[in-house]
Amino acid sequence: MCNATNAESNMIHMKRCVMKWKEHALVRIGVGLHKKVAGTCGYLCASNSTLRCGTSGVVERFCVQEIAMQAASSGIGYGLKYQARCISDVKADTDHTSFLAGTLSLKEENEVHLIRLSSNGTELFCEGLFSHPNEIWDLVSCPFDQRIFSTVYSNGETYGAAIWQIPELYGELNSPQLERITSLDTDPGKIKCILWWPSGRHDKLISINEENMYLWNLDVSKKTAQVQSQDSAGMLHKLSGGAWDPHDVSSVVATCESYLQFWDVRTMKKTISVECSHVCSVDYHPQKQHILVTAEHESGIHIWDLRKPKVPIQELPGHTHWAWTVKCNPEYDGMILSGGTDSTVNLWLASTNHDELTDERQVDSSARWVDPLLNSYSDYEDSIYGLTWSSREPWIFASLSYDGRVVVESVKSFIPKK
Amino acid sequence: MDTDDETLLDEKARRTRDLLASFYSPIPSASSNNPFSKHASPDDINSSSFQPDQYMKIMARKSSLEGLLQRHVEMVAEIKNLDTDLQMLVYENYNKFICATDTIKRMKSNILGMEENMEQLLERIMSVQSRSDSVNTSLCENREHIEKMHRTCNLLRKIQFIYDLPDRLGKCIKSEAYADAVRFYIGAMPIFKAYGDSSFQDCKRASEEAIAIIVKNLQGKVFSDSESMQVRAEAAVLLKQLNFPADYLKTKLLEKLELSLRDMQFITAVMENDSPSAHEASIHELVEAIRAFRVIFPDSEKQLVQLAQDLLTKHFLIIEEYVKTRICSEDLLGVLRVIWNAVLRMDEVLEEVSLSNHSLEATKDAVKLYIRSAFSHLTQDISDHLLKVLKRGGAEEYSLEVALDASIKAVFDGGRNVLLDIHKILEDNLEIVDKLRELIIDWVQQGYQDFFRELEVQFISFLGRNNSSATQSHGLMEGAQGVKAFPSLVLVLAQLSAFIGQTAIPKITEELAASFSQGSVGGYEYGLSFVPGVISQKFRAAGEKFLQLYINMRTQKISLLLKKRFATPNWVKHKEPREVHMFVDLFLQELKITGNEVKQILPQDLTKHRRADSNGSSASSRSNSFREEKEKLSRSNIQKGRSQQLLETHLAKLFKQKVEIFTKVEYTQESVVMTIVKLCLKSLQEYVRIQTFNRSGFQQIQLDIQFLRTPLKEIVEDEAAMDFLLDEVIVAAVERSLDPIPLELPILDRLVQAKLAQHRKQDLISS
Repeated sequence: MCNATNAESNMIHMKRCVMKWKEHALVRIGVGLHKKVAGTCGYLCASNSTLRCGTSGVVERFCVQEIAMQAASSGIGYGLKYQARCISDVKADTDHTSFLAGTLSLKEENEVHLIRLSSNGTELFCEGLFSHPNEIWDLVSCPFDQRIFSTVYSNGETYGAAIWQIPELYGELNSPQLERITSLDTDPGKIKCILWWPSGRHDKLISINEENMYLWNLDVSKKTAQVQSQDSAGMLHKLSGGAWDPHDVSSVVATCESYLQFWDVRTMKKTISVECSHVCSVDYHPQKQHILVTAEHESGIHIWDLRKPKVPIQELPGHTHWAWTVKCNPEYDGMILSGGTDSTVNLWLASTNHDELTDERQVDSSARWVDPLLNSYSDYEDSIYGLTWSSREPWIFASLSYDGRVVVESVKSFIPKK
Repeated sequence: MDTDDETLLDEKARRTRDLLASFYSPIPSASSNNPFSKHASPDDINSSSFQPDQYMKIMARKSSLEGLLQRHVEMVAEIKNLDTDLQMLVYENYNKFICATDTIKRMKSNILGMEENMEQLLERIMSVQSRSDSVNTSLCENREHIEKMHRTCNLLRKIQFIYDLPDRLGKCIKSEAYADAVRFYIGAMPIFKAYGDSSFQDCKRASEEAIAIIVKNLQGKVFSDSESMQVRAEAAVLLKQLNFPADYLKTKLLEKLELSLRDMQFITAVMENDSPSAHEASIHELVEAIRAFRVIFPDSEKQLVQLAQDLLTKHFLIIEEYVKTRICSEDLLGVLRVIWNAVLRMDEVLEEVSLSNHSLEATKDAVKLYIRSAFSHLTQDISDHLLKVLKRGGAEEYSLEVALDASIKAVFDGGRNVLLDIHKILEDNLEIVDKLRELIIDWVQQGYQDFFRELEVQFISFLGRNNSSATQSHGLMEGAQGVKAFPSLVLVLAQLSAFIGQTAIPKITEELAASFSQGSVGGYEYGLSFVPGVISQKFRAAGEKFLQLYINMRTQKISLLLKKRFATPNWVKHKEPREVHMFVDLFLQELKITGNEVKQILPQDLTKHRRADSNGSSASSRSNSFREEKEKLSRSNIQKGRSQQLLETHLAKLFKQKVEIFTKVEYTQESVVMTIVKLCLKSLQEYVRIQTFNRSGFQQIQLDIQFLRTPLKEIVEDEAAMDFLLDEVIVAAVERSLDPIPLELPILDRLVQAKLAQHRKQDLISS
């Protein structure tokens, strides 16, 4: 064990790509997050090689990667050092498919990883590794500047949120410090998430904490942020998350314990609400207005048409345990990804056209029923909390399981032929 | 010699005659048969080609002198004979000629006085002629007179008749001899037509009045039911003769018939179990009426058929209503028999095919409806049984088991009863049913198909009802009570669906096949309308869905509990644990409720249970040893660093066999409870993961989990999995704890024991 910890401490100074893989392997064997037998064997081998050839990093990385490839069949793996909950697609990076992931560790020094998919799509490597002062509960990349992102963090007792800027990388630095643009400090409420203006360069931000919703004016150049308006969720209601409508930027939805609450951002007043119990994740359909997808702990995934908010237009069975997060594909209509605490990621193909759907239901009775579940990725060791589509290559998604493993998969084979 | 002479004489005579004949007739045809002429040779003296010279030559050559001489003598004699004969003939002819001349002379003399006589005769005849003419002319006047007289007499008689007509008609009315009256009247008709306006005005009026009475009486007769058919028919005929509008009569009578039919409810009589004679009588009456009508109006068949059809339609409507209520096959058969009898009877009278066809169609509908309603009643029964589960709030004794048994029984027995009923109908040799045999079998199969489909839809609709919280509006349950009972309904549904899918449908299929393949000719046609495979597949799927739903509902409830538990306190500022938190009690209580429900409904998994028992000890010992080890570890960990401790927990986990958490649920008590426990513990872990704990908070979790181990062990089947999940919770708590220092073992034990003691006490009180 001593050996392992020593190796770990030594490796902090190694070159970043190589180091990440090595660490990954060491975390597996040393800190020992449980693995399936196959996975375990693989990592055991990997760790042997790590211990044997501590200096010949390149060979070692290669070795680990190979094993990762084997373990996750089609997926490409990447290991974070600690447990983690959040991963975000770097939308503003038009040249590369990149993701940002933040770790969640109470006691260790947390990190933000900038992960990049190699141009041939077979390899994930660490483009940047930055230490973050607290454990990260939410992380969103800025839609217009690839170097800016927001995090929600906690030191265990208090919560905070901040906008960060990745410092210019000149190739050689070790563990550079993130540049804090501003923190979004409000009352001591437990902040839940930050929403960026859905697209384009805009100075508006929304933060949601358990009791309130705030609209911020962000000035990146002056490094300030001011609360423009706010509204409380009301007594006894705790907000848990939200989404900004990409079709109607004046509308924001927040998830509550037993319903979805909509706000008009211009007046900061509540508009409609949709009854929906235990909802924990919500995502707008990127192409179709009024269509909303929710993931609920107990009852799976629901698709809503906000013009008919009484009942969902479609229900998907979800997961064996909770469905934790749900994401609509930015490009392909009806393709929905959900991550659950049963350690699987499910890929669904749902029909979001309401009329079509009723037709389909009628057809249902005459036995032509298509399983909406396209595929279930179950090669994970722990609950999936982080999930994101790549906006640059919309057939690619990245998933993050609690044990800190990032897996990038391609759904190309499931894209419906037009 | 005598004979020779005679023949010779004969020969001679014949020869003479022949010769004479040849003389008169130059053609020697008569003698062609003569044997002498056969050898017509020149020497034959008799032939016409006789040549004397040649004959002589031949004679001279052939015969001797003596012969020649003899011949000569013969010849001479012959010639002499011939001469005599000729002389006689000539004489005779002459004689005759003289005689004729005499006669002619006498005739001439007779004719001379004749002319005179004739003239005299002519004269006389002329005079006779003139005399007769004179007589004739003298008598002619008288004769004409007589003829005139006769005519007048006739006319007078007629006038007399007409003048007498009213009286006579009156008499006829009195004696009810309407036929005569009508005859008289019709006889007088032409006169009335010709002179009615002038001379016989009064008379005509009087007789018309009389006729009006007659018409009235006749109408009365026609319409009166007491008169015999014959009389009525006659009356109708007479009326027709009187140019009375027959159509009017007909419609009138038809109306009457209809009216009487309207009151005729023999079907209802059957339904109300009245005496059979009642409807027999009414049918009889009906048939008689129809027969009479046909006699009266032979051309009214169409209308009668229409009428009868209307009647049948009406009755079939009643039957259809009747069928919709719960009736057994006997009732249906009874009704059908009655109506079929009626149809047959009417057929006899009407000789119309359309009637029986019509009723066949109607029967078809009725039987179809019967089958359908039988199945829908069955569905209704089953859902009633099921919905009792929801109502049980008031009467707790109506247990789930009873409900399940009742509904299973309903499915089974109900299904079988329908089959039996249909069998009864089929076995009854009612003609009309026989005709429908194939169809009925088909309908039954279709019925089963629809029944099961319907049942599935109904089951699913139960859920929908709850989800849309429209339950209250249905008045089926009382708010919270109903909602509370709802999961049990789902459980019952799950088991019921599974049962139907696995047992009931194959059985019913078997029975169907058994009962119909023998009866019907087209044995295996049933496969077309009843597809057991699809249906049972559907039910199995539904069953699984229901079971999943049940588990979800139960889990949801517990999940809510856990959520509240974790959302409420501020875990970072948690105080030292004093006792096991009460959410554990609630959790266990929920599990107990679930366990009770499950025990009532689902079977025990015997094989698995035994297996679990056999290796259960080893499993538990292993987990125990593991726990002890871990506890040892954690105790020793107090001195070590945090990371070290984490490392060890992880290591321990790494080498422990990975437990497959989410396995497929089976229809057993153990599997369902286990699944629920697993899901709940997983939820617990997830809730822990989103919190941050201080030392006391962590210890509280540790204490709660430690306590849970014992009672859970009694509930669940797979202890290894449970231990694994509980450990996972601890691990999660360790990970999320700022200061993960576990409670000292003695304290832990003490608190757990205290809680257990409290539990025992509660159990005692409650028991």
